[in-house]
Amino acid sequence: MTDDITTPRRNFVKGVATGVIGGTLAGMGFYSYTNSAYSRLPKVAREQQEFGAVRSVKVTAISETSWFNNAHLMEDIQKSGGLLVDQYTIGWGPFGNGKGPGKGSYEEGIAKIKKMIPGDLEEAWALQEKSSLHPDNPGGFSTLIEVEDLDGSKHKYLLDTGWSYAWMDQSFKREGIDQMLKSGEIEALIQTHEHFDHFFGFPVAMKYNNKLPLYIHNGFYKEGRQYIVDSGYKGDPIVVDKELTPIRPGMMLMKFDVPIICRVFGETSLAFNVKDKGLVLISGCNHQGILQMTSTAMKKLKYDNDRFYGLYGGLHISPFEDWDPKYDDLVISLGKWNFEKVGCNHCTGHLTARKFIERGYPVVRGTARFRSSTPDYLGNGDTITFG
Amino acid sequence: MEAQNRNISYLESRKLVKRWRGPLPAIANLLMIFALFGVTWWIFQDPRGIMRMYTPYVGYMICRWMLILLIWVAYIFDFWPFKRSWLNKAHPVTKGVVLTTVSVVAMMLLIKGFFMGLLGQYGIAYFSPDRLHAMGLTEFYAEEYSTEAIMMFAAIASWLAPSWVVACENAPWQKLTQPARGITIAVVTFFLSTIVYFLTMHSHMAILFDPWQKYTAITPPYWEGFANTVSGNFHIAWIMSCTVTVWVYESIWERYPFNLIKTNWLRRTSAFFGIIAVALCMCFFIYYAQDLMWGETVRGTRREMAPDWRWLHVGETAIFWLVGVLGLNFYGGNWPTKFSRPVNVFLRTIISLLIGGAVYVLYYKYAHLFLGTQKGFAHPQQFPMIPMIWLINIALINQWFMDGWPGWKAVPKTETELNEVESAVIAHDVSWTPSLARGLAVGATAGVTIYFGVINILPWISQNVQIIK
Ligand SMILES: [Fe+2]
Ligand SMILES: [Fe+2]
Repeated sequence: MTDDITTPRRNFVKGVATGVIGGTLAGMGFYSYTNSAYSRLPKVAREQQEFGAVRSVKVTAISETSWFNNAHLMEDIQKSGGLLVDQYTIGWGPFGNGKGPGKGSYEEGIAKIKKMIPGDLEEAWALQEKSSLHPDNPGGFSTLIEVEDLDGSKHKYLLDTGWSYAWMDQSFKREGIDQMLKSGEIEALIQTHEHFDHFFGFPVAMKYNNKLPLYIHNGFYKEGRQYIVDSGYKGDPIVVDKELTPIRPGMMLMKFDVPIICRVFGETSLAFNVKDKGLVLISGCNHQGILQMTSTAMKKLKYDNDRFYGLYGGLHISPFEDWDPKYDDLVISLGKWNFEKVGCNHCTGHLTARKFIERGYPVVRGTARFRSSTPDYLGNGDTITFG
Repeated sequence: MEAQNRNISYLESRKLVKRWRGPLPAIANLLMIFALFGVTWWIFQDPRGIMRMYTPYVGYMICRWMLILLIWVAYIFDFWPFKRSWLNKAHPVTKGVVLTTVSVVAMMLLIKGFFMGLLGQYGIAYFSPDRLHAMGLTEFYAEEYSTEAIMMFAAIASWLAPSWVVACENAPWQKLTQPARGITIAVVTFFLSTIVYFLTMHSHMAILFDPWQKYTAITPPYWEGFANTVSGNFHIAWIMSCTVTVWVYESIWERYPFNLIKTNWLRRTSAFFGIIAVALCMCFFIYYAQDLMWGETVRGTRREMAPDWRWLHVGETAIFWLVGVLGLNFYGGNWPTKFSRPVNVFLRTIISLLIGGAVYVLYYKYAHLFLGTQKGFAHPQQFPMIPMIWLINIALINQWFMDGWPGWKAVPKTETELNEVESAVIAHDVSWTPSLARGLAVGATAGVTIYFGVINILPWISQNVQIIK
């Protein structure tokens, strides 16, 4: 083993084995996080797909109060086992089964009320109030979008259907949504994602129109798809499976495949090109992140002035009035994107809205009516127009 | 002479011998470990299971502190107060149950008594869920915030505590008997962890509150410009890399190359800082690799595109490698062993990276089907480190507390083997010669070439390989 010929060779091999690890590590350590390494990153070409334009977009917050007492909501989530627990099993209306937090099931919940939806929602909700957790807490998120085409014609869309049957029916009536649904004036329902506060009120829309075109994300779970059927929907849902789905000229549905708390998968949001103004983004919760959405739109779409004009929606930052340093990253960076008009509410969180305002961002204030809790952002019944 | 009298730790005094020939022992142990993982995951962690500690931070804290306790029991306290004679004679299953129970009780005392009780009540409010709740936070977030802080502390200790044994060889207290040595090293590493905690995570916690707690912590944190985020995840990246490197150095690297240094203090210091240096290389590379795969980060975004998540994912990726490293070491007999040490080390590095890479791919492809989680790389409340560390903990219990039962059994080392343990602290198998130097130069050049090859190929891989459908 130690004869004269093999020893130098063996030493050489030992050196090579050690040197390879050392050399690789040196490259990793001294080059990876340097400017020159980053100058090599491939430049991403902007696709800038044309998708037409609209004259204006008017948004009405039918309801942005998803729940009325945050501590109660969090209590239910905590007792059920935290943020990853399946929303259908938490025990919330309309899927309460009376067995306690975290012990509910879609089947048991729906069995109790199946006969009553969508015809007899009052009775269904009243029954659910007996077996669900914190029955007075649910509100809901739902938004009316009125698009004005370049020719002046107007088109209405409903974004999400809220949560509590009682609260949503009342909110729909307050804003005249019931009539718009009945008359077919609302051209489609866009269900952004499967979350309880955006979707559990689905039968309320069905009560007034169970045939209108419906868009859902292809990440909807089987319970959600069943709920659509059980709610008496008679149409054929349009299951969105592409990144971009045009709704009408100047209006694009964007799909994001993201896993979300309470066992929900994926969200869709809307992008508009407002003539002579620029890009407007409207979301339900925006679990994908507003800047993620903005940068995706920047890469994929072509819009006037190449400018970010407006933003509306739940911006899912501190929905439970919780905080994380990464939210500060957003608060700090949002200014650079120069949005002209920011309309936010719902899961944006009060603290986030206040931090936006403190930084001088153009947050449009609300009127704090109909149980909305702050004038810092757009509340129930408030409107914002882009264009 | 008895191993204990010679100050050889229990883990070094025993030899694990296969009970059966061939791959059967490894198969048996892996099966048992996965079965234990499945059952305990369902009982303690699974969001559909019984206790549902994966809230996420409660379960995250528990698995990390469990790891520290295992390290303390086996490495720092050398199983004190259990007698060596009991360790040698008791049935592995009895030992596993008793030692695990002791670790769990000690962990609960530490979390509830020390962090939430003492520190939270009389020192720093955010360690106490009760105090946070009383000040108006929801009970849920009060618990999440405090367990997050306690969890971060464990992350730091999981690097420093074993480092003192592995790199610093318990110096300068290696001659103390137990429990004096254990207490000393636990206290010292705890103290160092506290300092590192204040330098890395305290500011992260302070900006969870409004307004930022600027009188008690540096806000915005000093790393903002460098890391492109105010999140403490930046530190998770390099600290987890350190944790992983400690075990790489201890297991598949057999403390090579720093064990070539004959001067005690120099060897120990070089090993300690060498581990940090290797970890930093790994950390910056994994971050950069993600940028090559997924595109440059956009600050203020969420999930895959956000700098804070990418730093977190550095730590996550490192832990996947650790699974490969420990798997090879425990159940693959640290294969290969037949070549010279540098060659063995090199080959094991490659093999463990391949195993780690496979675990990574399998995890993101399939884990959501079993763990009660959802598919996707970035979920704001999902941490792959929880199941991975849970798995590692079970493997460590099997290896350290149960002597590798059922596939292996512990046999005391012979006199000659014990002498080898003592002399193995300094390696003599590599010495400086012109041919070694030539080899190093050639190897280093090849290494740099490999590095640039890899970073050139990564963007192509990201275009052509899709892990999550
Ligand atoms: Fe929401
Ligand atoms: Fe949501």
